[in-house]
Amino acid sequence: MSSKLLLSTRNLKTWFPIKKGVFARTVGYVRAVDDVSIDIYDGETLGVVGESGCGKSTLARTILKLEKPRSGSILMNGEDLLTMKGDQLKAFRRSVQVVFQNPQASLNPRHTVLELVTEAMLAYGLTTRETRHADAGKLLNDVGMPSDVLDRYPHEFSGGQRQRISIARALSLNPKLLICDEAVSALDLSVRAQVLNLLEELQQKRKLSYLFITHDIGVVEHISDRIAVMYLGKILETGPTADVLDTPAHPYTRLLMRAVPRIGTPLPEDDTAPVEISQTKEIKGCPFAPRCPLADDHCRSNTPPLEALKSAKHQCACFKPSV
Amino acid sequence: MAKKNDILRRLWRRWDTRLSLIAIVVYLCVALYGEAVYRYHKIQDTTAPYNQVHDDYRYVKPAFFSFFSDGQQPADGRPFYPLGSDNLGRDVFQRLIQGTRIAFHVGIITSLIAIPLGVILGCLGGYFGGKADALVVWLCATVASMPGLLFILAVAMVVGQGLLGIYLGIGLTTWVSVCRNVRGEVMKHRNRAYVQAARVLGYSHLRVIFRHIMPNVAHIILIAFSIRFPASVATEVFISFLGIGVQGEPSWGIMINNARLRLWQGVWWEMTFVTLAIFILVLAFNHLADALRDLLDPALRSEKVK
Repeated sequence: MSSKLLLSTRNLKTWFPIKKGVFARTVGYVRAVDDVSIDIYDGETLGVVGESGCGKSTLARTILKLEKPRSGSILMNGEDLLTMKGDQLKAFRRSVQVVFQNPQASLNPRHTVLELVTEAMLAYGLTTRETRHADAGKLLNDVGMPSDVLDRYPHEFSGGQRQRISIARALSLNPKLLICDEAVSALDLSVRAQVLNLLEELQQKRKLSYLFITHDIGVVEHISDRIAVMYLGKILETGPTADVLDTPAHPYTRLLMRAVPRIGTPLPEDDTAPVEISQTKEIKGCPFAPRCPLADDHCRSNTPPLEALKSAKHQCACFKPSV
Repeated sequence: MAKKNDILRRLWRRWDTRLSLIAIVVYLCVALYGEAVYRYHKIQDTTAPYNQVHDDYRYVKPAFFSFFSDGQQPADGRPFYPLGSDNLGRDVFQRLIQGTRIAFHVGIITSLIAIPLGVILGCLGGYFGGKADALVVWLCATVASMPGLLFILAVAMVVGQGLLGIYLGIGLTTWVSVCRNVRGEVMKHRNRAYVQAARVLGYSHLRVIFRHIMPNVAHIILIAFSIRFPASVATEVFISFLGIGVQGEPSWGIMINNARLRLWQGVWWEMTFVTLAIFILVLAFNHLADALRDLLDPALRSEKVK
């Protein structure tokens, strides 16, 4: 793994205002992403896991500039994304692309495969009207599709094929970072494995980095070099995949791992049933404290910082990490 | 997604929509013929047949009925009146054709004003949201709150009586419903993943709106046209009936206004044929609009069992 830093966020906060009343007064915020700092290195895969509603997708959308962060910074090759304009922004658009969860919705139903895959290339001058067919064919071959489907429409394909087309579209600009927002969650198990293998293959061929967002620990285990565990907009634990999954330090990570069904072992009783948690109020203390079996008064009144455990790379935000 | 030919074929397959289609095509041919007659006599600078006054042949019954008529015997040299003549001895049939011509002018030109206006404002409001949307909604509400007729009157005052006043008056008041429909549909699409993907690819807002969202809301434009057309025709008839619309040309509204006075003296044909012409055109268009909406609107289609 090379260690060149590609993209990083620093204290990133994306809050959504809640407006009420006639004058749309802001009465509070949903803290979808709250003080998140992550690093993505060249050629590596960072997996972000967490339950639904924990802010994984908002994090991705903020990095893609689809949401405006409230504070913090996103650095790409040392440049702050939030102040980028013009050509710099265009270059950023070329280097970071996304594959969404639902391949049915992420492809324009009125565009043919040729248009879907090469429109961006044309717009950026990477191909011409004469060469676009050949270029589209090459991209489709790269993602394991036959190249004779250029005049077809998205609805003529299966879910896995559509996801391959989305990947081809995302790769058309030759990005450095591909954000996969639950990219395989909507697919059948067998197709999921195929697409995951394709993504790994492409990573090696094209030296891609992935920000892989999912709720599925199995998938993350398979594809990630490093993992970040998110809960209520915060990162609770992060580190190399093996470290985090073999020796989970945070009680929430352990809870997540126990939720993965294993053949032969009955699912354990969940002693930390989810409690109704208001995302709108400022959370005092550890965000996981209301559900945590180990929580005491100290946890409830102080927020634990992300601190290194045995190795510097494995970090955990807990006062009582199990080491 | 259904292609254009496919839609036509489907409309043709059902007998009711087929009748509507045939009716509309016949009307269109009649209107084109009327346009040709109008142009011809304008260039030749002669009095067109629909304006020829025959003092001797006033209130001639329609040709078919004159066989049984008691008073008037067909005389030599009397013009042929398939649908009778009016109070000045003008041919009702010829005037009806000219009325069709005017109706198509009004229907098409008001749609050409209202639909682009509604689509553009609806797209901008629906896509950008926030302040732009508030402005569009305010505009819609303001225009909708004015009585349409009053607005048309005001426009007619400014640009003068006649067709221009009608075009502008109807065109500038009826874009509201188009705008609301388009706005709603665009809002639905704005947050779809394919639009987000397009934005991530770095396309400009205009490109996203017109190349990515527009094709997906295009069916609304077709439906809007099929609804707007008959509504505009009906409005024109009403305005002309009131005397502030078409001047000096035989519009359906003017004909009805003309025929109204003598209806009680037994001159029923002018009124009957004009209202029949309006009735069939509006019915055909409305029926087609309904069928089109069923065919093209995915939301409605999913509820229907086919």
